[in-house]
Amino acid sequence: MLEIENLHSQIGGTDILRGLSLNVNAGEVHAIMGPNGSGKSTLAQVIAGHEEYVVTDGSVTYKGADLLSLDPEERARDGIFLGFQYPVEIPGVNNAYLLKAAMNAKRKHLGLEEIDAFEFLKLAKERMAMLGMDPKFLNRGVNEGFSGGEKKRNEILQMAMLEPSLAILDETDSGLDIDALKAVAEGVNSLRTPERAIVLVTHYQRLLDYIEPDFVHVLSEGRIVRSGDKSLALELEDKGYDWVREAANG
Amino acid sequence: MSSENIESIVNRCYEHGFVTDIATESLPPGLNEDVIRAISARKNEPEFMLEWRLQAYQQWLEMTEPDWAHVNYPPIDFNAISYYAAPKSDEDRPKSLDEVDPKLLETYDKLGIPLHERARLAGVAVDAVFDSVSVATTFKGKLAEAGVIFCSFSEAVHDHPELVRKYLGSVVPRRDNFYAALNSAVFSDGSFVYIPKGVRCPMELSTYFRINAANTGQFERTLIIADEGSHVSYLEGCTAPMRDENQLHAAVVELVALEGAEIKYSTVQNWYPGDENGVGGIYNFVTKRGDCRGDNSKISWTQVETGSAITWKYPSCILRGANSVGEFYSVAVANNMQQADTGTKMIHIGPNTRSTIVSKGISAGRAQNAYRGLVKVLPQAHGARNHTQCDSLLIGKECGAHTFPYMEIKNPSAKVEHEATTSKISANQLFYCRQRGISEEDAVNMIVNGFCKEVFKELPMEFAVEAQALLNVSLEGAVG
Amino acid sequence: MKQTALSLPALRGVVESMSDDGLRPAREAALRSLDTRGLPTLRDEDWKYTDLSSAIAISNQWLKNGAPAASDDLQGSIDEITAAVAANWLIVANGVIDDTRFTPGDAIDVERFSATTAPIVADRALADLNVALLQDGLRIRVHATPERPLGILVIDSANDAAAVSQANIEICVSDNCSAEIVEYHASVGEGDHYANTIVSLDTGYRSQVGYTRIQNRRIGHVFTGRISAALGTDSTLDMANYDIGGGLVRNDVDINLAATGAAANFNGLYLVGDNQHIDNHTSVEHRVGPAVSSQEYRGILNGSCRAVWNGKAIVFEGADGTDATQANHNLLLSERSEIDAKPELEIYAEDVKCAHGTTVGQLDETALFYLQSRGIDKMQGRQMLTHAFAVDLVSRTPVDATRDAVNALVSARLEELIRVQAQ
Repeated sequence: MLEIENLHSQIGGTDILRGLSLNVNAGEVHAIMGPNGSGKSTLAQVIAGHEEYVVTDGSVTYKGADLLSLDPEERARDGIFLGFQYPVEIPGVNNAYLLKAAMNAKRKHLGLEEIDAFEFLKLAKERMAMLGMDPKFLNRGVNEGFSGGEKKRNEILQMAMLEPSLAILDETDSGLDIDALKAVAEGVNSLRTPERAIVLVTHYQRLLDYIEPDFVHVLSEGRIVRSGDKSLALELEDKGYDWVREAANG
Repeated sequence: MSSENIESIVNRCYEHGFVTDIATESLPPGLNEDVIRAISARKNEPEFMLEWRLQAYQQWLEMTEPDWAHVNYPPIDFNAISYYAAPKSDEDRPKSLDEVDPKLLETYDKLGIPLHERARLAGVAVDAVFDSVSVATTFKGKLAEAGVIFCSFSEAVHDHPELVRKYLGSVVPRRDNFYAALNSAVFSDGSFVYIPKGVRCPMELSTYFRINAANTGQFERTLIIADEGSHVSYLEGCTAPMRDENQLHAAVVELVALEGAEIKYSTVQNWYPGDENGVGGIYNFVTKRGDCRGDNSKISWTQVETGSAITWKYPSCILRGANSVGEFYSVAVANNMQQADTGTKMIHIGPNTRSTIVSKGISAGRAQNAYRGLVKVLPQAHGARNHTQCDSLLIGKECGAHTFPYMEIKNPSAKVEHEATTSKISANQLFYCRQRGISEEDAVNMIVNGFCKEVFKELPMEFAVEAQALLNVSLEGAVG
Repeated sequence: MKQTALSLPALRGVVESMSDDGLRPAREAALRSLDTRGLPTLRDEDWKYTDLSSAIAISNQWLKNGAPAASDDLQGSIDEITAAVAANWLIVANGVIDDTRFTPGDAIDVERFSATTAPIVADRALADLNVALLQDGLRIRVHATPERPLGILVIDSANDAAAVSQANIEICVSDNCSAEIVEYHASVGEGDHYANTIVSLDTGYRSQVGYTRIQNRRIGHVFTGRISAALGTDSTLDMANYDIGGGLVRNDVDINLAATGAAANFNGLYLVGDNQHIDNHTSVEHRVGPAVSSQEYRGILNGSCRAVWNGKAIVFEGADGTDATQANHNLLLSERSEIDAKPELEIYAEDVKCAHGTTVGQLDETALFYLQSRGIDKMQGRQMLTHAFAVDLVSRTPVDATRDAVNALVSARLEELIRVQAQ
């Protein structure tokens, strides 16, 4: 589904990704781990198409076509979803309104009719119940005054509604207490299907106790330095990131 | 004389010749007592009206144009303006929508304006408009049943001179300011509303349903009186773009709320703002003021201002009656070369008077948008309360957003709060929306509408929907 | 409204009679400029609420009398003030520089205007008046970090006849230096007095300046004082202004942020009672970004008095990354008090964060009742709550050495103000 080849990227003239390659197939869950500044979040932003991140070399192919030439909204409509590390507040814009606009943008792209209001509400309430969210959230401003946990749940709700082919969850576990973490993880697990790929970007192994990855990659200085199965995460937890750096250098 | 000056004179002469040609009723440009007598005579006004106008003219002569607003424009030649133009005859109007500028129709489409309204708005001759006359007649009957007077100002001068005499100029005195004085001297027409004691006006009054509404001209005068315990909601303007060959518009609106009465006055202003370079837009210098004369009365102004090259407008409330309430909700958009200096004044005189100000200014392109407001609490206004929220949103690097709030508080039991913020649409907000599949333009519209939400919710329902669409059209091309 | 005009012929006469020193050309230029500009009137937007008539009347009277120099002995008052704040004091007494209490050291150089040829800037009418009548000015350079705060005391007396005085001080803090500065204004005597002061401050690259300004002139004396600061790259200015006394007082604080990374935090407290009119005008010009400014002014008004607060922030085109906040809170405790507040924002840049908040209100009656229910009498309760309103700004006094003095002055003045109310 996603093939990344020798990706180089910089922000503000500083190189962050330095030749990263990765293949993700439908149905797989990949975890990308690494110390702060290793380029994890940059990778997520580049896939989603943030304009501040400039790709200087390499290629990204998504569903067999070049991804990098697409606008962020085109990528989203094609099924790429980014769960933000810091979900953005948009005062005055109601959550339901954003969700519906996003769903309809995608449906239009797929040549489908707009979802009707009743159907939308039913679906939203269903998904919210699944995530243990209060339906009142729908009528609040997007992330406006939400707690950290509420924001992250809201991201997963959007993912559940938009039903992406490829979901990248950037530090979805950061700032969550254990109950919120479990709720978010359950939400993600319920969205695991053979058609959908999920990439988890995380600093800690903790999230992987609840969402079991098929593959674990360790990122250091803009490259994947080790790949393995879920045991790699445990080993990392045990030995710390210095071990990776040494491995990368040595 | 430079060739440019000669050219402009030649053009002007041509214009005049043209006007005289089609309508003998129009007056040549220039202003003097004879012009005012002629205006009054043509309208068959009673003597008191003529006297009133002449006094206003004398006062105007002694006044100077205000220059304190945060706007720039070339000097206006008041002697180059024609102060009376007869309404256009049907022969001069387009016969059908096919004759109307397709660009205008395209905008109507974007705004979602119903077909039959488009014809009326574009000035298509009346017999071609489907059923606005019959609709209006029906409404007129309903209003008469309730005892509500809703007519043109000219009609009111003839049919209800005692009301006009009593209230005209009682809120905005003739010499209130330069443009109010000018308006008082030469006003062409406008609306008159009287709601009798205890009556709740059975429908929202809109200029749309006023008979003889055609071409009220550039000096409009509106007077609304809500007698004791009455209630009225009045809608002015419309979202459709309004074009006018007259560049200067100086309207006066006076509202009087007697004991326990409530007036809600909503405006959507979409006069032609000029092109991207600011050429040809309307100068909108308006004086709007409401007087909460009776105890427990309430006046609420809601406005969505997207048009005009220059807007100079401060709908105000004089809170005279005890416990009276004044409100001001405003969205002012300035794009391209537009300049807006708008705000409000809340004058607390009576005890326990309350006022709320919510102002949302949006600046885009090379526009300048200023909020100017005054909250004044006089010594006798015990327990007065004011809350002001004043926010500005910047779109683009070349625009300006300014805030000039004045607070003059002379009573120790007053509570006055003022908050203001200025921010831009953040790149993060845009990216977040786009990542959810929403186009950049839709995302901007969404964010802007969210920013204005507190004001839109004060508008009558249908108006609110149109106002949102209008905002989107007004900011088209502002980002990107 | 007609305003008394300054008698320019009398002023010219006095200027011509002043000593023929290096300042003469500057005085004459200022005189000419004043002739053109004229002193501000109520018609000027910046002077809408403050009428300088009394300052002009005092000046005219003094000029008419031939501008007599005050001869009162101020040493006792000076001793008292300099004892309360441990600083290295430079004194301007009745317009005359007195450096006898100043200890020269390695960190600070002091020169008189008359001893140098550097131009004297006068960019507005009150500056013209200042320069025209200036005996001499001080040019101070802080070129290392001094051990003690630098103190500047402007003190005047007016016992029999009307008196007028000017002070003009330029301070330059060099790159990478830290400096603490105290500017103290005091006056004594029952006669009419008008003092007009200008301080300009330049902060160098990465310098850090703490600045406390105390205005404790005699109630009834007229004062116009300005401080204009230009901040250097990555420098920080922390400033506080305390208005304790004075009759008609006008403070102008002008901050110029023309270098990136500069930060100005300035606060003010005005305690206003009978026969006082205290006007604080602040202006921050964000000319480049990123730069930060924040200000918070609080006022307590009781008795027949008026206060004005006008805070202006201008963000120029291209000054992206500006963060400007203004706050102004007022406690209005009397029927005869008036506050005029005007927070202004003028913004011509896009990437800015600007906010202001202004409130006018009273003591929280619920809190007062709570205190009463705990056995505290009403007056004491009022004092506690009023003090609490002010104490926050007092605790943020930038120069440590002034903390006790500020605290004592504020507490004493508050007690006076509340006592008036109880009567």
